[in-house]
Amino acid sequence: MLSNLGNLLLFLNTFLGITIIYYSFENLKSSKSSLSSKIYKYSLIQSTSIIICFFTLVGAFIISDFSLVSVYQNSHSLKPIFYKISGTWGNHEGSLLLWVIILTIFSFLFLIFNKSHPKKFRLYTLIFQNFLILGFLFFILFNSNPFENLTPIPLEGLGLNPILQDPALAIHPPLLYIGFVGSSIYFSAAMASLVTNYSESSFASSIKNWVLISWSFQTLGILVGSIWAYYELGWGGFWFWDPVENASLLPWFSMTALVHSLIVLEKRNILYFWVIILCLLTFILSVMGTFLVRSGILNSVHTFASDPSRGVYILIFLSFMIFGSLFILFRKYENKKYFINPNSKETFVLVNNWFMMFYLVTVMLGIFYPIFLDALTNNKISVGPPFYNTVIFPLVIIFLFFMTIGPQAKWIKNRFENIKILIFILLAAILINFTIFYIFKRYSILSNLLVISSLFLIISSLIDFTQSLKKSKTDLARIISHLSFGLLVLFIGLNHHFAIEKDFNIKLGETKNFKNYQIKFQELELKDYSNYKAVIGKLKINDLKKNQEKILTPEIRIYNNPQTLTYEAAIKSNLIEDYYLTMSNIDRSEYYNIKFQKKPFMMWIWISVTMISFGGFLRLFKNAKNY
Amino acid sequence: MKFKLLTLLIVFFLFEVHASSSNVEQNQIFKNIRCLVCQGQSIADSNSDFAQTIKLVIKDKIKEGKTEKEIYNFLIEKYGQWIVYKPPMNGSNFLFWLFPYLIFIAGGVVIIMFFKKKENN
Repeated sequence: MLSNLGNLLLFLNTFLGITIIYYSFENLKSSKSSLSSKIYKYSLIQSTSIIICFFTLVGAFIISDFSLVSVYQNSHSLKPIFYKISGTWGNHEGSLLLWVIILTIFSFLFLIFNKSHPKKFRLYTLIFQNFLILGFLFFILFNSNPFENLTPIPLEGLGLNPILQDPALAIHPPLLYIGFVGSSIYFSAAMASLVTNYSESSFASSIKNWVLISWSFQTLGILVGSIWAYYELGWGGFWFWDPVENASLLPWFSMTALVHSLIVLEKRNILYFWVIILCLLTFILSVMGTFLVRSGILNSVHTFASDPSRGVYILIFLSFMIFGSLFILFRKYENKKYFINPNSKETFVLVNNWFMMFYLVTVMLGIFYPIFLDALTNNKISVGPPFYNTVIFPLVIIFLFFMTIGPQAKWIKNRFENIKILIFILLAAILINFTIFYIFKRYSILSNLLVISSLFLIISSLIDFTQSLKKSKTDLARIISHLSFGLLVLFIGLNHHFAIEKDFNIKLGETKNFKNYQIKFQELELKDYSNYKAVIGKLKINDLKKNQEKILTPEIRIYNNPQTLTYEAAIKSNLIEDYYLTMSNIDRSEYYNIKFQKKPFMMWIWISVTMISFGGFLRLFKNAKNY
Repeated sequence: MKFKLLTLLIVFFLFEVHASSSNVEQNQIFKNIRCLVCQGQSIADSNSDFAQTIKLVIKDKIKEGKTEKEIYNFLIEKYGQWIVYKPPMNGSNFLFWLFPYLIFIAGGVVIIMFFKKKENN
């Protein structure tokens, strides 16, 4: 029953997409300056019906309707209700439906929030967006239909992978999707702008809020995924340069470049084509990321959702998008002569874009080079953290210096009036850095430089902040985001540098000593829960220097449906440091392998990223207020 | 005065470089070795038998006094380049390591070209 309703709604949406495209073309011919009311009406129905369609699927997951293949494969009647719901988008088919919802809702919102812009531009945006919607609807209907039937109806489902049964992972996909699927709307708007010759600053103002929305959500989405990986995968870090993490980072780089260059387009009316390229690139990278994840090309922790036939479809769709957009871009491209003063805000924004593109290319190369090398020479290589850290971090140092100086610069022609202050800040940063490293007595040149440059940015942003409180016209959003980025790099540097890691084998009742720590394996307990059994260890960690005691209880869980073994890390966190401990059994012995980590400032890494994203939201609210 | 301070800092830096390069970090090596039977994990993060074995091998090699590089080469010979997360800088990989910097330089040149146009006008 639900399956029929869902299919019906999918067909209705396909029909509505085609109808909207048809009426939009009709409407283009008419001489009236306003949009036909039909278009609003159909767009509203389109959004409503796709939402109902989604809730139909959620309903099927809640009542465990195993006549649907996607429910059968990803749910179980004994699963807690919360994870039944989040299971809806915890799989390939359901998450594609989430794609289409965001495409559709953004399409509708863009339509109603941009009434001040020309009709032609708005209609073409709608047309392009509906082509994207149709592309994904066809994908759902012909390849990945979540409403596909199963006969005979199984009595029980296979269950959701336990590591996905987690609150962070329940909200991770929606946040990330608002981010990168949201970028579709400025892909469509950029295409429309090219087709209708609607260029210059008014185009920038039509998309800037959409860019901010997607950027802020993308940031949050990446953060939540990162937090999940931290406590669920048991690796004890915040970023692993896993190919799939990287795939979500690529659109973030180009969005960040876009956030900055849009300001230049809006204020100075230059860089139009570069902004267009970034708009197109962001969404193309988003679709590419989906392709990489869903096709199973990448060897990663995310390969839970892969199937080659999906890959082929997305690849075809992606090629259409790339060639279509390039075709239109080259037809409309004119070489405009800009002149930019080397010492001006414009230059510094370009410098931001320059670094963003460098990061983007580096990460992209890290993803694709092994794939191509394997295809061409059958030579398998791995590109992991050492590559990215070696290539990227040294340049982050220079980047942070530009990031500090840039916002101080003026448009068109700048003169630095406060060089003395900057030198003073730099010296202060160096001094603080050496105090930190002197106290903790460990050295590394890269960590030092990272800490100095981030402190430079932080102190300067803080000075900006105090000064901005006195002024009426402030740019608090920028200050917060930049300050938080500085904090992020600082805490990453300190975290990386001062982390302690130790792994050893231990059996019940034993005590181990290392450095100034003493770890005692006190207890081992077996517990039964509704959907899993757990072996819970109790370990006492004694910091002999500070005379502090902490009890950590890592678990080994055996889930019933599906039968899976997971290792739950025990984490004790506070604002200064995290104690992180994982336990695993060693086969055919009474020994357990224990990995103990002390990670300073983990909490601050999360807080910094949240604040970076908060800056984006703040700018958004300010824009909305002025609107 | 400022110059004195600066020289002092530079000396301090040099000392640090020296201090940091002397010891072989066991965990560092673990993190650079892929667990071949896992999905995208290093042996430092894995609990698998394979990871445990390789860890023991590496510990032995460190005891034998092998350097980080020698250990990587040993493992590459045995398991292929797939096992190390840091592709060795040789042959075709050389361009791979260089490429990001080429792009970086190219980007810088593009920006400078924007400045040049001003002189023409």
